[in-house]
Amino acid sequence: MSKTRLLRATGLVLAGGMALLSALALAALSTSRVQADPPAQQTEAYCLSCHSNPDLSLTLPSGENLSLHISPDMLSTSVHSPAGIECEACHTAIKTYPHPTINFQNKRELSRSYYQACQKCHPANYEKTQDSMHAAAAQAGNQAAPICTDCHGAHDVKPPAQPRSLISSTCGKCHDQIYQQYKNSLHGGALIQENNPDVPVCTDCHGVHNIQDPRTALFRVNSPDLCAGCHANQDLMSKYGLDSDVYNLYNLSWHGVDISVYKAKWPTTWHNSAVCTDCHGVHDILKADDPASTVNPVNLLATCQKCHPGAGPNWTGAWVGHNRIDQNRTPFLYYTEAFYASFIPFVLWLSIIYVGLQIIRATVDRVRRNLP
Amino acid sequence: MNAPSKQPAATAASVKLERTFQRFTLNQRWEHAILFLSVAGLLFTGLPQKYQTTGWGQWIISSPERLGQIQQIHHIFALLLIAEVLYHLIRGISLMARRRLPGAIFPTWQDLRDAWQMLKYLLFLTRKKPVYGKFNFEQKFTYWFLFFGIGILVLSGLVLWFPLFITRFLPGGIIPAAYLAHSNEAIVAAVFIVIWHFYHVHLQRLNLSIFTGRLSEDELREYHTAEFQRLTGEATVKSGNQGDSQ
Repeated sequence: MSKTRLLRATGLVLAGGMALLSALALAALSTSRVQADPPAQQTEAYCLSCHSNPDLSLTLPSGENLSLHISPDMLSTSVHSPAGIECEACHTAIKTYPHPTINFQNKRELSRSYYQACQKCHPANYEKTQDSMHAAAAQAGNQAAPICTDCHGAHDVKPPAQPRSLISSTCGKCHDQIYQQYKNSLHGGALIQENNPDVPVCTDCHGVHNIQDPRTALFRVNSPDLCAGCHANQDLMSKYGLDSDVYNLYNLSWHGVDISVYKAKWPTTWHNSAVCTDCHGVHDILKADDPASTVNPVNLLATCQKCHPGAGPNWTGAWVGHNRIDQNRTPFLYYTEAFYASFIPFVLWLSIIYVGLQIIRATVDRVRRNLP
Repeated sequence: MNAPSKQPAATAASVKLERTFQRFTLNQRWEHAILFLSVAGLLFTGLPQKYQTTGWGQWIISSPERLGQIQQIHHIFALLLIAEVLYHLIRGISLMARRRLPGAIFPTWQDLRDAWQMLKYLLFLTRKKPVYGKFNFEQKFTYWFLFFGIGILVLSGLVLWFPLFITRFLPGGIIPAAYLAHSNEAIVAAVFIVIWHFYHVHLQRLNLSIFTGRLSEDELREYHTAEFQRLTGEATVKSGNQGDSQ
C-alpha cells in the first residue's frame, strides 16, 4: 500500500543523473575520511525531488508510519547541508533509485542503524559514547537508550549549545523530572532566565558523550572536584561574592578528609561521609539564604539528621566546614587553635633546648673529669 | 613510706652490700605499666588516623575495614587509659580524704628555685647543681604535664566518641575544637615523651626505678640528696666533689 505509493512517487524521478550518482557515491565511500574530502556531489536536489513531498511515507512491519518527507527548509538551516555535506554522506547504502529494500521492523531499529553513519566523520565522539552509560543501557537491551540523533537531531542537526540552555532542555527531553528540578534551582534559573554563561548545564557535570552513571561510589568521591571546577575558581566566584576557599576548607574538614582518603585509596568503595551534594542538593541547589535551601539555617538540622539521626539543635554548631576559623563564629575552635599555635612550638623548643643544654653540660663535665 | 631495707653492714672491703630504697609502690609500678601500654597503643592507632592522608598513614590503614579495626583498638586502649585515670584520681582522692596523700609530687616554690639553679648550672654560670628531694622539678613537670595532657586527651576523645550525646548539653562548636585539641595534644604529648622523658630516663642515665620500684643508695644520694638525708638521717657529701661514696 504505502510501499507501492513510495514506488509510484519515486518512479517519477527516473533521472539521467542516476549513473552520475552511483559513480560519485562510490567515490565518496572509497575513503573513510569523508570529512576531509570536498562535497561529493549535489545529491540533495536530486533526493529532494521526491523527498520534499510531505505525503511521502511508508508503513513499517511494526505498523508505525514512517514519514519520508524531508523539509528543504530544515536541511538548509542544519549544519551539514550548507557545509556541502549532503544526503549520501550519511545514507551510504542508497545510491540511486530504486532504493535497496530496507528490513527494519520499526522506527527505532531504523534510527539505531542509521546513526552509525555519524562515526564516519565524528569517530572520537562516537567512541566516547560507547563508554557512556547510555551505551551500557543499550547493551543491556534498552532500545530507547539515546543515540547521536536523539540529542543532535538527524536532518535538522544544529549547533548543540545555541543557546546554551538548549543543552539542558535536550537532556530534559528524557530526564524531565530532573530538568524540572534543575529549572527551579539557582543554576538552572540563572541559565534559563538570564542565559548566564557561568552556571553549569547538565554536561558540565555529567560530561558530554561519555556520560557516566552518577550513582556510583566513584562518581560520588569525585563529585566535590566537579563543584570545585567552578567554586574553587577565585575569579569566577568573586563575580558572585562567593568564597572560593570552600573546597580547600571542605578538604580539611572531617567529611572532606574521609572523602579524600577514599578517593585516593578506595574510589570504588561506597562511603557515606558527606560530599557537597549531600547537603546542598544536586539538581535543586538553591542559595544558602533561600529559606527553601537545605543548608539554610532553618533547614540545616534536618539536613544533618539525614546522616546523623540523633542530632539535637546544638549539632549544627559543629559544622564549620566552609568557614575559616573565626573568633566570633567559631570561638571554641579559634581559642583552641590559638592555644596550640603557640603551645606546640613552646613545648617542642623547651624540650629541645633544655635537653640540649643538659647534653652539652654532661659532655663537658665528662671531658673535664677525664682530663689529666 | 619509703623505709630503707635494712641490710647488714659490709664486712670485707671487697664485698659491698648495696642498700636500696623503695621509690615506687607496686601499685604505682602497675599504674605506670598500664599507662605506658595504653599510651603506646593509642599513639600507634591514633597517629595513622591523624596522618591518614599521608603515604605511611595509608600504608597502615590499608583498607576501609582496617580503618574500622584501628578505631576499635583505639577505643579499647582508650578505655584502658580511662580506667587507669579513674583509678589514679579515686585513689588520690581517697588518700587525701584520709590525709595520707604523699605531697612529694606537688610543685613548690623550691622547684622554681631549683629550675633557676639548674639553668645557671647548664649555662656554666655555677658549678653547684640543685639538691633535690624525692622528685626533682623535671620529674614533677613530667607528671603534671602528662596529667593535664592526658586529661585534655581523654575529655576531647570522649567528645569525639560521643558527639551526639555531648551536643545535647554543650554547644556544637565544642566538637571541631575537641577534634583540633585531641589531634594537637596527642602530638604535644608524644613529642614531650620522646624528647623530655626518654632523655631523662634512658639517655641521661638508665633509670628503671619505675619498673623495679627501687633506687640504689648511690643513686638516691646522688640524684635525690635531700630525700636520702630525710630517709637515713646521714649527712651526705656530693659525690661530684669527693669521688664515689663508699
